Amino acid sequence: MIEPVSPELQNFYDIFDSVDKSKIPEFKDFLEANAVNFNLFKEGNFIERSFPFDMIPRIIPKKEFDHLEAGIVQRVKALNAFLNDVYGEQRIIKDGIVPREYIDSAVGFLPTFMGVVPSRGIRTHISGIDLVKDSVSGEWVILEDNLRVPSGVSYPLTIRRAFRHTYPEFFESMKISKIKQYGDQLKAAMKYVNTGGLNVVLTPGRYNSAYYEHSYLAKITGATLALGEDLVVENNEVFLCVYNGERQRVGAIYRRLDDDFLDPEEFDEESLIGVPHLASAYRAGNVAIMNSIGNGVADDKGIYYFVPQMVKYYLDEEPLLKNAPTYLPYYEKDREYVLANIDKLVIKDVAEAGGYGVLFGNRLTPQERANIIEMILENPRRFIAQEVIEFYDLPCMIEGKILPRKADLRAYVIYGEEVSVSMGGLTRYAMEEGNYLVNSSQGGGFKDTWVVEL
Amino acid sequence: MGGGIMMTNGVAISVNTAQRLYWFGRYVQRAETLLRELVNSYDYVIDRDVDDGRKLYAKLGIEIEYNNALDFLKQGVYGEHGASIELIITWARENAIETRHLLDERGFSTLNKIFNHIVAGRESVVSPTTLEEMIDHFALILGIFSSELGRPKAYHFIRLGQQIERFDLILRLYDGIDLVNAELEAMNVIARRLNHHYQPLQITSSDIPKALEAVNGVINRVIQENISVKETEQTLQSQG
Repeated sequence: MIEPVSPELQNFYDIFDSVDKSKIPEFKDFLEANAVNFNLFKEGNFIERSFPFDMIPRIIPKKEFDHLEAGIVQRVKALNAFLNDVYGEQRIIKDGIVPREYIDSAVGFLPTFMGVVPSRGIRTHISGIDLVKDSVSGEWVILEDNLRVPSGVSYPLTIRRAFRHTYPEFFESMKISKIKQYGDQLKAAMKYVNTGGLNVVLTPGRYNSAYYEHSYLAKITGATLALGEDLVVENNEVFLCVYNGERQRVGAIYRRLDDDFLDPEEFDEESLIGVPHLASAYRAGNVAIMNSIGNGVADDKGIYYFVPQMVKYYLDEEPLLKNAPTYLPYYEKDREYVLANIDKLVIKDVAEAGGYGVLFGNRLTPQERANIIEMILENPRRFIAQEVIEFYDLPCMIEGKILPRKADLRAYVIYGEEVSVSMGGLTRYAMEEGNYLVNSSQGGGFKDTWVVEL
Repeated sequence: MGGGIMMTNGVAISVNTAQRLYWFGRYVQRAETLLRELVNSYDYVIDRDVDDGRKLYAKLGIEIEYNNALDFLKQGVYGEHGASIELIITWARENAIETRHLLDERGFSTLNKIFNHIVAGRESVVSPTTLEEMIDHFALILGIFSSELGRPKAYHFIRLGQQIERFDLILRLYDGIDLVNAELEAMNVIARRLNHHYQPLQITSSDIPKALEAVNGVINRVIQENISVKETEQTLQSQG
């Protein structure tokens, strides 16, 4: 179902009717000419791929976005407080809000980092909060909190500039919130937590699917783009190996690789893209790691269930945004419900991301159904189940026709001296009709997101 | 915390990035020069000296075979040898991708468009007019970087790569040791600007292989193995 047309969207269509449509292919040309890629690995092969773009933006009325913004800020503050607590006193466990088993068994929980206090007490420096708009209730619903290495922000930032240049008519006539301050906000957040030295964007390298973004973020923040081998740790301090033989101290690292690969001495010893002993420098408080090590416990799909309770617990506020109705097979009552209603639920493996490990109960063969039930019974902590949200489709221009496609929204949040939400975000849409998986790694495309005031 | 180390917020260039910028400069220069040579030689191959193309590539240590002038262009652009234009542009682009955060966007996209064009044309006849347009585009790319205000360090690495590639090709294609010597000072200035420990290069021998070795070794004297943190501190202190 397509979302009803708001007056703001109607404004867009009115202008759209009068603009020169022959310029639409310029977007594709722009993305290709500038190698704005979201690369894929298929069957072991590296494939450079432009991120498919649809020019019809998702339009969110300003008032609606104000509510979203408040809810997202609230949520990220609660998640940051949760992480500080869970690696500190663990009051939330002692007070019986989150079961200890859920923390201890979370893959992303790293007990060896208990007691580490990050610079300025911030752990969720850059968050990507995934939401959809429920077509039944008309409300925005949170699907996921991405607190480790959320990607995607560079694409709307990049295309916005091209959009303004190609079709200035929209920006002249509509009050569209600006997003270009994202770079300054990110730079300010890096500066805020910096322990003295360079700001660095740490990338796994050119063959990472989001390498374009790493490079883009280094450019807009003025940070140094570095590979793991460019950094060394000496006496628990991190240094960049500068070309002239000198070393410069590093004070903040926006890392774009997962914990597992960050430090071969601490995590996966086979990692060739990390920095040996980086975790020790972090523990010693000599470098800010953005996002902090061990954040995976907070965006664990099982922990997601408890986020509304975290908002009440840490902030003493009612959550402004809802979770999708979620069941934890870990609890007997929920498990019984899940097993009895598996056909109408979505089952998610808590250890997976990027649209992997997601099963729609109504599409399972009898054998697949039996297998998943067996797996749930064997390891109930590994799965969550959610009611299927009938979220709105958005109008997408596909082969010259405007067709409905499922779409979500990833909102980007920067936690520095203040918490700020980018006034837009990445709207991802599924390529095929009826497909609920919109992830870029599943071949989906993207739209810009315009926050519009009448 | 950082003891006596200065707090430095700003872009610092790592060893990897410096090498990539340098090689970007070299490959862009190589592509431009070889495209010019290819188009010039094509004109000879048509009706003046059918072997001119073979002679050109022989100077680079490459044997190529072709049936006619257009086939010569095809071999020059897509042939399976180390001087194929497609390969050189691919390498230039790879280095550009890894350093694009320091490059001018128009320069990057111009190179990327050339690359896309080359890849798309793999099955087609190579047009000399298209190659001439590419030469203009490469001149544009190099011009864009040199016109940047402020001329950051990244530019100087690109410029150093260009200069060394020019010298390399002058020596290989024209045995032009005098020409290289006449322009050596300009390269020494750039190298010294990048690393104040750099000692100027002088070419005294007329031996081409030795001159090539000396010119190509310059980068190893600009990009150095890391010294220790302690030495860095001492250097910073001595610089006040």
